[in-house]
Amino acid sequence: MTEPATIDAAVEVRDLTRTFGARKALDRVSFDLPRGAFLSVFGPNGAGKTTLVKVLTTLTAPSKGTAKVSGFDVVADAVELRSEIGLISHNPLLYPDLSAEENLVFFADMYGVPDAAARVRELLVAVELDHRRLDLVRTFSRGMLQRLSIARALLHRPKVLFLDEPYSGLDPHAVEILDHLIEQIRADHTFVMISHDLAKGLALCSHALILAKGKVVLSAPREELDEAEFAETYRATVGLGVA
Amino acid sequence: MNRNILVLSMLVLGGVLTTVGFIMAFFFTPPVLGPAVTNEAGRILGYQPLFSQKIFYFHVPVALSSFLVFFFTAFYGVRFLMTKEKQYDTRAKVATEVTLMFVILTMATGVLWTRFEWGRWWVWEPRLTTYFIMTLLVIAYFVLRNSIEDEERRATYAAVFGIIAFIDAPISFAITRIIPSSVHPVVLRSGGGLTGSQLAAFLIGLFGMLMIAYAIFNTRMREELVHDRLEAVKAALEG
Amino acid sequence: MAGEARGLSLRQFKAILHKDIVMELRTKEMITSMGLYALLTMVIYQVALSQSGTAFDPRNIAAGLLWLAFVFTSMLGLNRSLVHEKDQGCLEALLLSPVDRPVIFFAKAIGNLIFLLIVQALTIPVFAFLFLQQGSYAGEWWMIPLALLAGAVGISGVGTLLATMSVNTKGKDFVLAVLFVPLMYPLLLAAVSATSAAVLGGDGSVQQFWTGMGMMAGFDAIMLLASFALYEFIVGA
Repeated sequence: MTEPATIDAAVEVRDLTRTFGARKALDRVSFDLPRGAFLSVFGPNGAGKTTLVKVLTTLTAPSKGTAKVSGFDVVADAVELRSEIGLISHNPLLYPDLSAEENLVFFADMYGVPDAAARVRELLVAVELDHRRLDLVRTFSRGMLQRLSIARALLHRPKVLFLDEPYSGLDPHAVEILDHLIEQIRADHTFVMISHDLAKGLALCSHALILAKGKVVLSAPREELDEAEFAETYRATVGLGVA
Repeated sequence: MNRNILVLSMLVLGGVLTTVGFIMAFFFTPPVLGPAVTNEAGRILGYQPLFSQKIFYFHVPVALSSFLVFFFTAFYGVRFLMTKEKQYDTRAKVATEVTLMFVILTMATGVLWTRFEWGRWWVWEPRLTTYFIMTLLVIAYFVLRNSIEDEERRATYAAVFGIIAFIDAPISFAITRIIPSSVHPVVLRSGGGLTGSQLAAFLIGLFGMLMIAYAIFNTRMREELVHDRLEAVKAALEG
Repeated sequence: MAGEARGLSLRQFKAILHKDIVMELRTKEMITSMGLYALLTMVIYQVALSQSGTAFDPRNIAAGLLWLAFVFTSMLGLNRSLVHEKDQGCLEALLLSPVDRPVIFFAKAIGNLIFLLIVQALTIPVFAFLFLQQGSYAGEWWMIPLALLAGAVGISGVGTLLATMSVNTKGKDFVLAVLFVPLMYPLLLAAVSATSAAVLGGDGSVQQFWTGMGMMAGFDAIMLLASFALYEFIVGA
């Protein structure tokens, strides 16, 4: 495995375009994200947020342009790239008929995690689910599911974490827990989060990106943003949502 | 513009050729002799000209054309999977539409033929069975398309199914012929091969049919392309 | 590096298969629904044959009836096995891991094959008990299992590909049936021929059996190769 060429950029996107027929899901999107940053991606429904994350996580191939995550190209080095990333979604991505431990062991096998049992135990303790490790995931509350899905995402020690509206459908208590967990892992990971919630997204991020109709409307580090102006820009794009 | 003239001339020429082939079949080809009476044991008591055999000059060109057009469903399916360009999906879809038309024609003429040959409307005879299965596969292709919302997923699934279905059709043909079945009557023909005038009528009919297939394919493609362009203009105006 | 990758693929393959079996042993969802469905089919057969008179020997159509039951139960099972993956977005999680797509195909197909073989093994004695009490079985003992295996391989291989598609469509099980039955037609024809030769015996039955087996082997080889090659496109779409 070769060391990535550009060490400091966690995500590098150049003229990324994704089209199908006349429909443009992404239109010449470009941005850089340094390591350790937290990017919040905003935009109305159908703006291309999900497509962007799908391309960056290798689930969809770009039509034109390039994207690199952790120095690996999303097309050429897809397999290596997958070992570098984790996804936390609003969907738990866990099997309800397996226990917490079985779920984690299964995904540890999928990632080829060495010494899986110890790593699983360590994470179960970290997300405070060790006492429920033998219970079926079916019986878990929304908050517990979210914690377990974070453990799942961290199993293979990814460098870049993708968050796909992780807060949607969470009760206030679960939100608190999630905030706390993200705070804990914030230092050693780069984050890319899709969000509908302007306040939450802005509070967490170090960089912000607004997409509308597949195009970048605004991309800037947090400290350069004027909050009122930002909110205004965001609101303007909502009008550009799906027809 | 040149393309238009080509398509139009293909359509006219195809129409003329199929008609000529048909007329030749009736007036200029010697009749094929078939068994006059075939009893239970398959003993032939004599020969008589088979008038129903004339449908051969229409049925077989249609059947061959349908299979050839179906090949393009699979071909454009492969092209689509390689490039992910929407135009290939459109081409595959239109090719399958033309296939549907031709397999239905094949079935219809085949049913007429069995009616006169064996006195029954339907016989599970290998060729007819294969075309029946092919009709179902083509219908399944459109059922699949209609049950998927996402354009790109629809195109990918349709491409994969088109390829698999195209591979399945000849297997189906081979297996229906090889697997022994005790139900259908054995039809014996005197002699083999086609005489000169028979072959000429057949080939003229075949080329005519292929030209018609080409013309229909292109006409439908033009319609689709206009539609796509309209969508693109709409999208551009909105953005 | 290549050996390492192969080791990982094997570990992933085992993990998926193990997970499917553990989940099935826990819920017994597929086996119960498929088994019950097979039993219900037997009841329908009784109704269908109820007016055929005492002279009619069900052995003549036993092979056809059996395969009919397997076709319908296997569609039920195939649908279930992919719904599990789709429900909580788990398939997406699988695709995010560094797994070669064919590994997913093989693991799911082998899982489906195992469940189908279990259902076949349970159905055959019940069917024989209910319909084949008079008259004896003519072929060699290994003929039936061999024919069942060859048929089940094709059904689970192509079926896994088709179910992965149909689970993402609007009319899941209906779409699966529409795609599955015509594609499987040649395999079923050969399977019924081989099974029938084994049940009925008589002149040329051994040859008929091996012809059917050869056809099935050919179908399995070609269609499995095609499904294997095309699976990556389906699962990623």
